[in-house]
Amino acid sequence: MKRIAALLGKELTDLRGNPAVFVPAIITGVISIVMPFVIAIAIPYFSGERLADSSDFRVALEMYRDQPATRSLDPEGAIQAMIFQQFLILLVLTPVAGAMSVAAYAVVGEKQARTLEPLLATPLTTFELLAGKVLGALVPGIALVTICFALYVGGVALVAHPGVYRTLFFPRALLTIFLLGPLASLAALQLAVCVSSRVNDARSAQQIGALIILPISALLVAEFTNNVQLTSRLVLFISTVLAVLNIALMIVGIRLFDRESILTRWK
Amino acid sequence: MATLVASHLTRRFDSRVAVDDVSFELAPGEIFALLGPNGAGKTTTLRMLAGLIDPSSGNVRIDGETMSRTAGPRLRGRIGFLTEAPGLWDRLTVERNLLVYARLHGLANPARAVDEALDLFDIASRKSDRAAQLSKGLKQRVALARTLLHRPEVVLLDEPTSGLDPESARDVRELILRLRGERRAVLISTHNLDEVERVADRVAVLRARLVALDTPAALRTRLFGSRVLVRLGGAAARFADVLRPAFKDVRADDRTLSIAVDDVEHATPGIVRALVQAGADVVSVVADEAPLEEVYLRLLDPSTRFARSGQAGEAP
Repeated sequence: MKRIAALLGKELTDLRGNPAVFVPAIITGVISIVMPFVIAIAIPYFSGERLADSSDFRVALEMYRDQPATRSLDPEGAIQAMIFQQFLILLVLTPVAGAMSVAAYAVVGEKQARTLEPLLATPLTTFELLAGKVLGALVPGIALVTICFALYVGGVALVAHPGVYRTLFFPRALLTIFLLGPLASLAALQLAVCVSSRVNDARSAQQIGALIILPISALLVAEFTNNVQLTSRLVLFISTVLAVLNIALMIVGIRLFDRESILTRWK
Repeated sequence: MATLVASHLTRRFDSRVAVDDVSFELAPGEIFALLGPNGAGKTTTLRMLAGLIDPSSGNVRIDGETMSRTAGPRLRGRIGFLTEAPGLWDRLTVERNLLVYARLHGLANPARAVDEALDLFDIASRKSDRAAQLSKGLKQRVALARTLLHRPEVVLLDEPTSGLDPESARDVRELILRLRGERRAVLISTHNLDEVERVADRVAVLRARLVALDTPAALRTRLFGSRVLVRLGGAAARFADVLRPAFKDVRADDRTLSIAVDDVEHATPGIVRALVQAGADVVSVVADEAPLEEVYLRLLDPSTRFARSGQAGEAP
């Protein structure tokens, strides 16, 4: 653990010296935060049409009013709560976007900077190296999503109907942000680090790691179209699948990491 | 007992044999130089010794323990490997670079170890500088500090003075000599023959196979022989016969005698004594030894028996 912590510390210090790497994540975070406010607050405000009057939201409203915890909200508040909760899934993409470039460069970047060989000459095991690298990308991503979530809740508390912000503290929302999100990010990062240790071009790792965005986007679309209702139970189920996937990816990553090829064949 | 034993190391990359049946031992306090042209397998040998790549056959033992995938992480903690490039993290400060490695090696007090290394390598004043800001010489010094941070028993140095200015190169050489005093086993891979001449106890010449392995003096004598040149106050010819019973090859040229010897250090006092007893005025005595560069080139000359197949020098 000490060696993982040492490598993690190095990664975080290194990232502090290169904050530009988080620009894509910040952009994703800002879009994730702003979009639901535009839909739930800005458009009704400027158009003068309440969400509750729109037939588009009627089915969703009925579904949402089925939840006992939101029955105290008025129709407009309930629809706002639904929109703000559904867009939380988009926030999950923030750490993925932020950390992907970091993870993609994890191994190939060290190789290109010629810092990998001294690192491999230490007692560091492959597991410790990969864990340090993945955590080095994940921790800033989680910090960023936490900041985004705080801003999101603060914004909702300020401009949405009273009580709407409380729905963001329901287990479903918290599980999405703080369990499903990190596990999805972890899977994406592990995938990127695995690929990063097999290719000598960071862009390949970045592209393959970004594949994790596809199922998350599909989930978002399914929720918007009311085909899937993201309940706490479903979030827990997906999280369990992701946890298993993460263990499998770590095992595969260790097997795929070939010190010899990296040192002797990469140029 | 040898600290490091390389036994029949062979490494193939597909059909190419990079290192072929190389064996040697490295004792505590010994400085061992690995010479060879580019592509001779020096770096591959170092990587096998450092446990970074596996040999196709043969093995490496550190204090009797065989390097393997399982033992690798532990044994790597007893080796300090200076890679060809300094390999510092550019955005991190000098101190932070060292601190990460002190922690990776699991040192009990990483901060103190780093402070000691900064003092020892005279880089304390630059500890807050980012590695990217350092000159090449300073980067190499930091890399050396990193290599020795955990006080390894075996030190492997790949081209330690490559690209350094003469002053920095001298500092590195002094440090290498200091390691001998600390009883570390040091292996240097280098092209710098002058450096080898100054620091190495033994030399191995590699061209995939071990072409030669011995002390520099023994290799020189074996290939070229050694001669002692004695300059006299008068004509030298009449004193040549004084030495001929003891030395097979004695040549006189004006005021200089040139005597072929097996060992300069052992033979010289007897030569001087005999000449003085015979009434010669000895003006100067110098050893006429082939430079190591000539030894090296002769060893790698494809027309010589050494380069073709044989090994000059002792068997390990």
